[in-house]
Amino acid sequence: MSAERLVIVDGVRTPFCKAGTDLAALGADELGRIAVNALLTRTGLDPQLVDEVIFGCVAQPMDAANVARVIALRAGIPQSVPAVTVQRNCASGCEAVTQAQEKLQAGRGSVFIVGGAESMSNIPLLFKPTAVEKFSALNRAKTFGRRLGAMTAFRPADFSPRVGLLLGLTDPVCGLNMGETAELLTREHAVTREQQDAFALQSHQRAVAAREKLAEEICPVFLTNNGGHAVTQDNGPRENQSPEALAKLRTVFDRNHGAVTAGNASQVTDGAVALLVMGERRAAELGFKPLGALIGYAYAGCDPSRMGLGPLFAIARAAARTGLIPADADVIEINEAFAAQILAVLRCAPSEKFARQFLHRDEPLGEIPADKLNVNGGAIALGHPVGASGARLVLTALKELHRRKKRRALVSLCVGGGQGAALWLERM
Amino acid sequence: MIAAQDQATVRTTERASKPTPVAPERTIRRTVRDDGICLLTFDRPGSSANVFDLRTLAELAEELDFLERQPQLRGLVLTSAKRSIFIAGADLKAMQQGASLDQVRELIGYGQAVMNRIAALPFPTVAAIHGAALGGGYEICLACDWRVASLDRATKIGLPETQIGLLPAWGGSTRLPRLIGLPKALDMILAGKTLAAKPALKLGLVDELAPVEYLVEAAVKKIQRGKPHRPSHWLFNNKLAAAFIARRARKQVLHKTRGNYPAVLEALEVVTRGVSQPTLVSLTLERDGILKLVQGEACHNLIRVFFLQERAKKLTLPAVARGADPKPISRTAVIGAGVMGAGIAQWLSARGLPVILRDLNAEQVGKGMASIARLYQDGAKRHLFTPVEARDGLDRVSPAPTEVPLTHLDLVIEAAVETLDLKKKIFARLGELAGEETILATNTSALSVSEIAAATRRPERVVGLHFFNPVHRMQLVEIVAAPQTAPDVLARALRFTQQIGKLPVVVKDSPGFLVNRILMPYLIEAGNLFECGAGIVDLDETMLDFGMPMGPLRLLDEVGLDVALHVAETLAAKFGDRLKIPESLVAMTKAGLLGRKSGAGFYVHGKSKEAQPHPLVSKFVRGQSMRALSRLELQERMTLLMVNEAARCLEEQIISEPADVDFAMIMGTGFAPFRGGPLRYADSLGAAKVVAAMEFLVDNGATHFAPCALLKSLAANGKGFYHGKGG
Repeated sequence: MSAERLVIVDGVRTPFCKAGTDLAALGADELGRIAVNALLTRTGLDPQLVDEVIFGCVAQPMDAANVARVIALRAGIPQSVPAVTVQRNCASGCEAVTQAQEKLQAGRGSVFIVGGAESMSNIPLLFKPTAVEKFSALNRAKTFGRRLGAMTAFRPADFSPRVGLLLGLTDPVCGLNMGETAELLTREHAVTREQQDAFALQSHQRAVAAREKLAEEICPVFLTNNGGHAVTQDNGPRENQSPEALAKLRTVFDRNHGAVTAGNASQVTDGAVALLVMGERRAAELGFKPLGALIGYAYAGCDPSRMGLGPLFAIARAAARTGLIPADADVIEINEAFAAQILAVLRCAPSEKFARQFLHRDEPLGEIPADKLNVNGGAIALGHPVGASGARLVLTALKELHRRKKRRALVSLCVGGGQGAALWLERM
Repeated sequence: MIAAQDQATVRTTERASKPTPVAPERTIRRTVRDDGICLLTFDRPGSSANVFDLRTLAELAEELDFLERQPQLRGLVLTSAKRSIFIAGADLKAMQQGASLDQVRELIGYGQAVMNRIAALPFPTVAAIHGAALGGGYEICLACDWRVASLDRATKIGLPETQIGLLPAWGGSTRLPRLIGLPKALDMILAGKTLAAKPALKLGLVDELAPVEYLVEAAVKKIQRGKPHRPSHWLFNNKLAAAFIARRARKQVLHKTRGNYPAVLEALEVVTRGVSQPTLVSLTLERDGILKLVQGEACHNLIRVFFLQERAKKLTLPAVARGADPKPISRTAVIGAGVMGAGIAQWLSARGLPVILRDLNAEQVGKGMASIARLYQDGAKRHLFTPVEARDGLDRVSPAPTEVPLTHLDLVIEAAVETLDLKKKIFARLGELAGEETILATNTSALSVSEIAAATRRPERVVGLHFFNPVHRMQLVEIVAAPQTAPDVLARALRFTQQIGKLPVVVKDSPGFLVNRILMPYLIEAGNLFECGAGIVDLDETMLDFGMPMGPLRLLDEVGLDVALHVAETLAAKFGDRLKIPESLVAMTKAGLLGRKSGAGFYVHGKSKEAQPHPLVSKFVRGQSMRALSRLELQERMTLLMVNEAARCLEEQIISEPADVDFAMIMGTGFAPFRGGPLRYADSLGAAKVVAAMEFLVDNGATHFAPCALLKSLAANGKGFYHGKGG
């Protein structure tokens, strides 16, 4: 089988909006539909040509199981085209891209619509197991007396919900919350609060400065129930973010000694991204001029309680396959889950000791140059709709390559549960 | 007893060459099951519909001969083998003008006799309804003991006779009130309502619903229950209550129809008098009632409109009828997200077509998307769509606030602001963006399609598709053929109009095309009369009395004075001698009194439903010369101008047939359908009388009433528009 490259023809995303704000009323299926619809409209692709739809989503809506299928059908993709939802936590959007690559390699199709969608506003609240038991007892009760008995078994505490979002952000294996894993890195790598806040500030400043550039990736979302108001911008970046304001914020995960705050962590956000990807030859046949090609990628596992270092493991594994190291990249996007986490990655990358001990490499990965890293801001400013972020980084990196007229981009994310993802892209 | 008559007939010509004549295929198929239940299946050969004509009735009578001799049978089930029609009703051709009164009497009597025989069968009878059971198609169901219906979209049940000027006379007016009680039955019959399966069950029109696959089994179960015992509805179905209900209903009907629709009044009379009489007496009332109606003008006109609608649905162009069937349209775009653009996009998406909605910026597109969403919400509220259908429809609209590829589209409809320069700019760009096969349509209401076409690289792909506002209510679409429009483009545009369930009329490219051109002198005259002292209420009321759905000044308010003024100016540029735009209209527009959209025009449009005449517009009145005119005189002036302009359109061959003019005016403006359209109305008055009335006005200084040459020649020769050719 000839190794045909997967090319990214075009991509578009909804604005990223903080959970509970502009896009709160739209579910992940609706956000995904809007992105795919805009992608089809701006590329003019005949939906009949699509071989499969692959979408990442971490917290699938309860009322739209296999949300990729719901997105596909609602966006006008023919019923005969299959669709699959993929879940690799924070790298779900990358997983959608790389699965398309694998399917292409395996001869299972050549035109894919991939991406990610997440409505973190709509992650449900859950009843406690004790309450669930009482509800099912009530359901089973047949006579009036038994029903009355079952009803009186409820206590006020039964109605205090478990927050799905918090459950999702807690690692069930190591028992740590994601923020607690960031605190661990803060301690072990001596990343100060000031350094974290400074990094967060830079993310906001870069995102604010890049508004016009980012607008190229964004399709407006029309709130038809709200007079057709068009949401056209990310609402995470703060124009007037300041060191003072960041310093005032309370630490969330370790009240007394910690450094991680809401200000230096990624935002909880709603949004969706859609990419049109194809085999390189198919794209040429159809007369498309792709943005770029996927030239290599890797996923790697690591200690779940230090999941923030995941990018290093994935970049190392990708290097083993492609021979490419961060110095070969002209543009680098590493997802800003936490400032602490990304700063720890930056510290460990040039470390020989780390390379030998953890990456099984004699050579370190080398410096990750700050002037190439997240030049248009990152998730601390723009937000991190978990299932969508991976696809957003691919799109943002490719667009930046075109602006800089440079060759290669590296995209990487840390993944809850102790993994990393790394993708190498090349401009076309 | 009515409904769609499928034109397909049995082809006997092929058989003519055979040596022995073969008996024509039968419509009714009989099967007697092992369990003693007889199935009669209606399956009209060579057609997708079942209808009742004399032959089918005769066949049914033969089947009854058989059934009446088989008392050992356990039951009878009536079904249809058609996919979407049970029985669509009686063959309307028998009711058309030209049929003698005796023929109609025979048809009614024969039908009633057959229904009575079904009702008298000794074993239980069930109608298993799948598809449309309308008019006579439902009256036969009413003659059965039980009715079961399929839970299917195609299933529609009702007695729509009054809508075409008739009344249910095969027992419908008699049996329905006995089945569901007088008040509900009146509601159904007077409005000529058609119900889907679920509401039909709720109202008692059917006894049970079942999936179509189990329909016959459901019918058989009813047979096992024997003959039904039904409530007598004694509370309403007695002489006293009926008289009371009749009095109140009559008042309501008169208020609503202004006495223009005799069938509704006659049906009211028949149903309320018949309900307390023995069945046979009531049936006689039905027959006498319908015989009275078929002699009237309204009935003929309404039936004619019905046939014109059927014709429009099947219309093809002679040049293309021979060639291949034009390909259906599957991918579309609408340029302009204003009221018309959004309305068109909503209609297309509701008909299953993906639509790109393009406007200059996100704000405009957003407004369009919101109005489309509102149309869907309203539709869902009125049960036209399920919530899921409404959502899917909205999903099919793709907002495009920036330029997007259009090469792969079949059709682009431009619905931008009515400015020639802007439209030319848009079409120049569309010529670049669209594919070789893409049809470029303009929704202009008055501008020249050829001029717009000249701005593109591909003028032969340009055609006018003039939708009317509000798009989801107005069935007519004017298809404007410019001289350079390619025949295949025209044919595909026509096919598209039918595909989306609109009624097409093909017109020549000329200012205002057909409908607006005829309507505008009428609206302008209303404005002039107002300016010269006629009262707002008088002007509107007299036209409501005439049978228009809305008075002219109220219509101006709805259209928007600025929009109307713009169309009027376009027309005045060519027909200035007879179209003088009232200064009051210009002044009101300048003062921001634009009608509904600005909150006030001739009327004040509040949040509450009824608009009130605006007390302050009296300052725009400039004289009192028309103050003394009676309502009838006002009506005459306004209608004569429509007649005259309609005649001119015929004269200038904007369309070829008088029926097209009348049809377009009824479907496009709601012109009093019972009058049959402006030309039919003129014929009913007589051309000589029309011309005389106009010349009288000319002599009194109103030169714009000068009758056109065609009218004058018809008057001189004593002919009419419809019977002009033969003399």
